[in-house]
Amino acid sequence: MTAETIIQSLASGLLMGLLYGLIAAGLALIFGLMDVVNFAHGEFLMIAMYATFFLFAFFAIDPLLAAPLVAAALFVFGAVVYLLVVRFAMRAKANAGMVQIFSTFGLAIVMRGLAQFFFTPDYRSVTNSWVGGKTISIAGIYLPEPQLIGAMLSIAAFVALYFFINRTDFGRALEATREDAGAVALVGIDKNRVFALGWGLGAALVGLAGAIMAIFFYIYPDVGASFALIAYVTVALGGFGSVFGAFAGGIIVGLVEASTALILPPSLKSVGIYAVYLLVVFIRPRGLFGSM
Amino acid sequence: MDTQFAQRRRRDLIMAACLAVVAALVPLFVKDVYVQNIMVLTLMYAALSQSWNILSGYCGQISLGHALYFGLGAYTTALLFTKFGVLPWFGMLAGGAISAVIAMALGYPCFRLRGHYFVIATIVIAEIALVLIQNWDWAGAALGIDIPVRGDSWLKFQFTRSKLPYFYFALALACIAWFVTWWLEDSKWGYWWRAVKDNPDAAESLGVVVFNSKMGAAAVSAFLVAVGGSFYAQFVSYIDPESVMGFQFSLLMALPAVLGGIGTLWGPVLGAVILIPLTELTRSFIGGSGRGVDLIVYGALIVVISLALPRGLVSVFSMLTGRKEAAR
Amino acid sequence: MTISRRNVLLGATAAAALGPIAARAQTSEVAIGVIYPLSGSSAAIGVDAQHAFNTAADIINKNYDFALPLAKGEGLSGLGGAKVKLVFADHQADPQKGRAETERLITQEKVCAVVGTYQSAVAVTVSQTCERYGVPFISADNSSPSLHRRGLKYYFRASPHDEMFSAAMFDFFDAMKKKGQKIETLALFHEDTIFGTDSANAQTKLAAERGYKIVADIKYRANSPSLTAEVQQLKAANADVLMPSSYTTDSILLVKTMAELGYKPKNIMAQDAGFSEKATYDAVGDKLEGVISRGSFSLDLAQKRPMVGLINEMYRAKSGKDFNDYTSRQFMGLIIMADAVNRAKSTDGEKIREALVATDMPGDVTIMPWRRVKFDEMGQNNFADPVLLQYSAKNFVTIFPEQAAVSEAIWPMNS
Repeated sequence: MTAETIIQSLASGLLMGLLYGLIAAGLALIFGLMDVVNFAHGEFLMIAMYATFFLFAFFAIDPLLAAPLVAAALFVFGAVVYLLVVRFAMRAKANAGMVQIFSTFGLAIVMRGLAQFFFTPDYRSVTNSWVGGKTISIAGIYLPEPQLIGAMLSIAAFVALYFFINRTDFGRALEATREDAGAVALVGIDKNRVFALGWGLGAALVGLAGAIMAIFFYIYPDVGASFALIAYVTVALGGFGSVFGAFAGGIIVGLVEASTALILPPSLKSVGIYAVYLLVVFIRPRGLFGSM
Repeated sequence: MDTQFAQRRRRDLIMAACLAVVAALVPLFVKDVYVQNIMVLTLMYAALSQSWNILSGYCGQISLGHALYFGLGAYTTALLFTKFGVLPWFGMLAGGAISAVIAMALGYPCFRLRGHYFVIATIVIAEIALVLIQNWDWAGAALGIDIPVRGDSWLKFQFTRSKLPYFYFALALACIAWFVTWWLEDSKWGYWWRAVKDNPDAAESLGVVVFNSKMGAAAVSAFLVAVGGSFYAQFVSYIDPESVMGFQFSLLMALPAVLGGIGTLWGPVLGAVILIPLTELTRSFIGGSGRGVDLIVYGALIVVISLALPRGLVSVFSMLTGRKEAAR
Repeated sequence: MTISRRNVLLGATAAAALGPIAARAQTSEVAIGVIYPLSGSSAAIGVDAQHAFNTAADIINKNYDFALPLAKGEGLSGLGGAKVKLVFADHQADPQKGRAETERLITQEKVCAVVGTYQSAVAVTVSQTCERYGVPFISADNSSPSLHRRGLKYYFRASPHDEMFSAAMFDFFDAMKKKGQKIETLALFHEDTIFGTDSANAQTKLAAERGYKIVADIKYRANSPSLTAEVQQLKAANADVLMPSSYTTDSILLVKTMAELGYKPKNIMAQDAGFSEKATYDAVGDKLEGVISRGSFSLDLAQKRPMVGLINEMYRAKSGKDFNDYTSRQFMGLIIMADAVNRAKSTDGEKIREALVATDMPGDVTIMPWRRVKFDEMGQNNFADPVLLQYSAKNFVTIFPEQAAVSEAIWPMNS
């Protein structure tokens, strides 16, 4: 094993980790807002990837330009999912946790079925996009442009999210609603509106991630499954309720994945991620930066 | 423990006995193997879900990793039989015992975790086990284990065409799982679990004993699920890592209880009786289209039931009879 | 079950007795079960398979002038012109569901034969079930070598298995070495389910036997979110030939990741699967110029056997795709099964089995480059010669074995 291999592994792991962070950001935001884990998160990603693909295939819009459009579309989609499904799940008078898990999980199955129905189960790919397949080489270390852009977008998204939550009125409304939904109703904030916007925002973040992923990943109805578990582990590792935790969690997951593959057979690399998760929560039961 | 509670328990027991007898008679009238196959699966999932419900429903420790125990049961039985010639009946007990021990060993650190941290821990532990089995050459790795079937034998618990022996075994397992749950409801453990659920502060004062009772529940739950896994290995006579330890099994075990009524005595049975035939029939009769319609129907059903009836389908029955406590 | 069988039988006998006029009026059907993943992550395969089987049924049931068994005339002449009716079942890649659906096909849908299954793990239980009911099963496109070695009487496979496929690859390497090419080191890259494991086992064995050095043996988890670490190891090993055994999803990601990490393998010799899927070449075809994949089918054959092109057109009209390695084998699977039913003149399992055992079909009445179709005592057709196909200028060209080759191999692929 040469130094070059190790540096390349860690660099790739870091880029992938930032992307995992971006994928997980929406999940962390939604959880932080209302303690709901969206078990259809992987399917949100799948929809975003399809949206990017179709914009590219039918309107020749490059994924990089499509990203804001996809994010906007997912924003609407997320808000609608909240209003049609999650709103009712939150009203459940019994077994609230279970109802949330299984209503979003059922939604995931429906979304996969619908994707298969409308888009067929064929594997799709975006070919010949601006940055697809391009790579930057520095001293023998290769950094693929799509992942590099994804990583930068991830950092930008987390910075923006930080300012949004802490510095804007709407962010404060989100935070206040999260802390005491009853009290905000008194000062005239509509809880449902805030939550719907929160879901929209969470979904929009997945939309960004999906648009970037579509450049270098294949797309089919079950594609979300590969990323969903990693996203949950990322968020839990960082700590539920902490958006910054998801950022750190993503980087850790990416680096652990890459370094496990250096030591163990690559087929075991997911074991490394899971083992680190268990290790962290056994020591810190609320993840690295968890607040609740 | 008022008299009403005691009365209900007696009624439950009588009803269960009647249902078991009726179920035992069904194969006399239903000869179609396809339908019999669905009945076997329904009973198996009722048993699995009932066992899952002990830990996840009554104790409130939601596990989405029970496929681990299912797989352990299946693999222990199949490996002991194909490698050492140990009869599946012993393999079944060995698988159950191993699973119970592992459940307690894992429960020790995991029960400190709350909510989603616990759920995700159960998922990743089962995933780790899946990946390890998939890379374990001696256990057949991805190729799985093909259990040779040479004619009908009770000793080896394998039957070429007849579904009846499997049917009665699955029925017995479902009855045992039901009875264990029934018995636990009125035990000290059951009492503590209710106390903790109704009043989180009680959890503090009961801390240690509740922790121990959860370990016990995990062991019982894992043991029964592992026996179900052993049964499955004999029933299908071929196992591979993905088909006995995959994440979907963890979900399939939880779904009947969730839809029927989590933490209730009758929920898992009711859920399995409705859900399993439905999934089998939708796949058989609309799955052939290749367009995912079966997934849409199945998923929509889960969404609607979990939203409309958070206490599960059993709550419909208790509403009808005007009894609230049945849906506890 | 017996009732409908008897119906068909009675129909057939009556038709035979009453002569040609009655035979034309005869409308009875012979049901054949087709079991594939029609939902879930490999649904794409199942949907393509449906088109392939429907094409085959079309050719059997209508009159076509092809030199293919059963093409001429309508339906099965041996059963008074009975039409073949396909009953599709969805096994969702789950062995248990495969078993249950097979039972349903046999006992409820009264099929007299079963064809399947894509996933080898499902083929295990489907073939077991068929054995128990005495119904013949043709493994149309399963390539796991262990399948025919389980002592099953009703199991048949007309197409090659992984050891035959891999042997062809090493024959090719040997031939290239004789021509002075340097081939010493190999890198295996295979997924962790039954397909990848079987394939790698066969390749490891052959490499040892024939003196090739395996410098990297990378087993990876199917549908991984990233293959970066795996590709780095391949790059570090930089073997003379990279030998991937991957399904479509991983094939696409592998090729993209190799390009991103600046790794250009000297040669790629693929174990079919993802490397014969249109989706892979749609996605990353530009990076696959010169890749070689084993196969059991080649459209080149249309030059020698025009019906191959015509049948391919029929399939394309249904699916929008050309025949590939899977769909061609699926197509032939049904033709061979229907041919046996026809010769058995019966829908009785044992009679069909006997007819399958007696099958001896010359290669040129198939759409495959096979020498013939004739099963050994384990139900394996050893005359199904695999071919090696090279992807060049957006087409697959047969390059090996010599008698089937239409052009010389470009070696190394990036030259």
